Amino acid sequence: MTRKGLWVINIVVLVCLLGCMAAIYQLSAKPNNFMLSCSSELFNHGVAGVDSDHYLLVDLVSKDGLAQINYRYYDLEGHSAGTIAMTGHVDSVDIERQMFAVSVTTKNEYAGIKDQKTPEHYEYLSYISGLNLNKSGMHSLSVQVLERDETKDYAVVLFQPSNTVCGCRLVH
Amino acid sequence: MQLGHCRFDISKGDLVNQDTGEVWHLPRAELHVLTLLVEYQGKVVAKPLLESGHGDDTQLSSASVARAIFTLRSFLGPQYETLIETVKGQGYLLRHHRARKASYGLRGNWSKPLLLGLLVAICLVSVIMASLWWFNYTGKELSPALPLSLETVTLPSGQQVDMILYSPSKTNNELLIEQSQQFIKGLQLCPVTIWSRAFLSLSHDKQVLNITLRGDHYGQSLIRNLKISDLRQPKQFVTPQWLTQLNICSTSNGRTLQATRSLEAN
Repeated sequence: MTRKGLWVINIVVLVCLLGCMAAIYQLSAKPNNFMLSCSSELFNHGVAGVDSDHYLLVDLVSKDGLAQINYRYYDLEGHSAGTIAMTGHVDSVDIERQMFAVSVTTKNEYAGIKDQKTPEHYEYLSYISGLNLNKSGMHSLSVQVLERDETKDYAVVLFQPSNTVCGCRLVH
Repeated sequence: MQLGHCRFDISKGDLVNQDTGEVWHLPRAELHVLTLLVEYQGKVVAKPLLESGHGDDTQLSSASVARAIFTLRSFLGPQYETLIETVKGQGYLLRHHRARKASYGLRGNWSKPLLLGLLVAICLVSVIMASLWWFNYTGKELSPALPLSLETVTLPSGQQVDMILYSPSKTNNELLIEQSQQFIKGLQLCPVTIWSRAFLSLSHDKQVLNITLRGDHYGQSLIRNLKISDLRQPKQFVTPQWLTQLNICSTSNGRTLQATRSLEAN
């Protein structure tokens, strides 16, 4: 084999090895850690025309590729009206597009204090997430950062597929 | 003596190509030159010594030596012709390393398929890794949502508020647009407001309207999220009465902030 041929083989092998290293790094790289804390006022325009007000706190935590989302509901007096705690993993993080995808695999629901009616939004979220978890064992969602100000620690994000826009605090 | 793929039999004066089986009985000049080169392998053999005749009375001319070198290189072939190196102004040198490598003829025979196998294995692993990476990349590719519309609303005071609508589809957005118009009407009744941007989105099943208001107050970022569900038909998420109750005109959403803070402390 000529010297030139050996060099070509060497370079091909080197490129392949470097490619493998890059692919292994890419496949095994863990997404960045982050935490979002969002609070919302809930309103329900019922058939009777009575609005029932609640507050919702959503915490989305990602650490070492694992994700946890807690939906905590409160009445106007601050009493717990129910909690939905979801756990799963972060599928991917697209830093350039400011997006990340989360797959929820487990869900726990906790009722609020006694005689407290759960908010309509709680029932809605419980139903939708339960549908996906029962059907495919997974409830997938993505979060897209629409607007962000690191200096003021806030971000406006869009949750999909629910198409929910929400302003959140960035917790470091 | 192994020279590349050729074997040099000094006693018979033959150079045998082991790949083709060709035997070349070396003429006098070639035999003399190669014998000397082998004798001083790894060292430069001076031209005068090559021309000396090596115990023979007959002298070789410079051209004969050069021709002998040429024919020897030709027989060794392009792969091994560099074994005989010309040292400018001094003479010729028979290199060691190729000869040494070739002397492991047995290893050479099986190292080629082994090398090829190794290459194929590396290429296969690379293809598998690339496929995995591609699957991982494309399977989870995220496509960002773009706003359905962006409208700037001017209040009587001249203050401007951006209204940004988000929808999962480009069609069938009448309800979202209608609700945003209701919200704009309510907002335009405000002489002044702390909010500079309003984001509106309707859930994919059109059951929940989400409104996020963002503003700055004395350098502090303010955010207010509203989630409205409506079980009625037709849906009226945003009504004048509800907007009045919401107090969106207020320069302070004190009740909301206080309540939020007390909740966050829980």
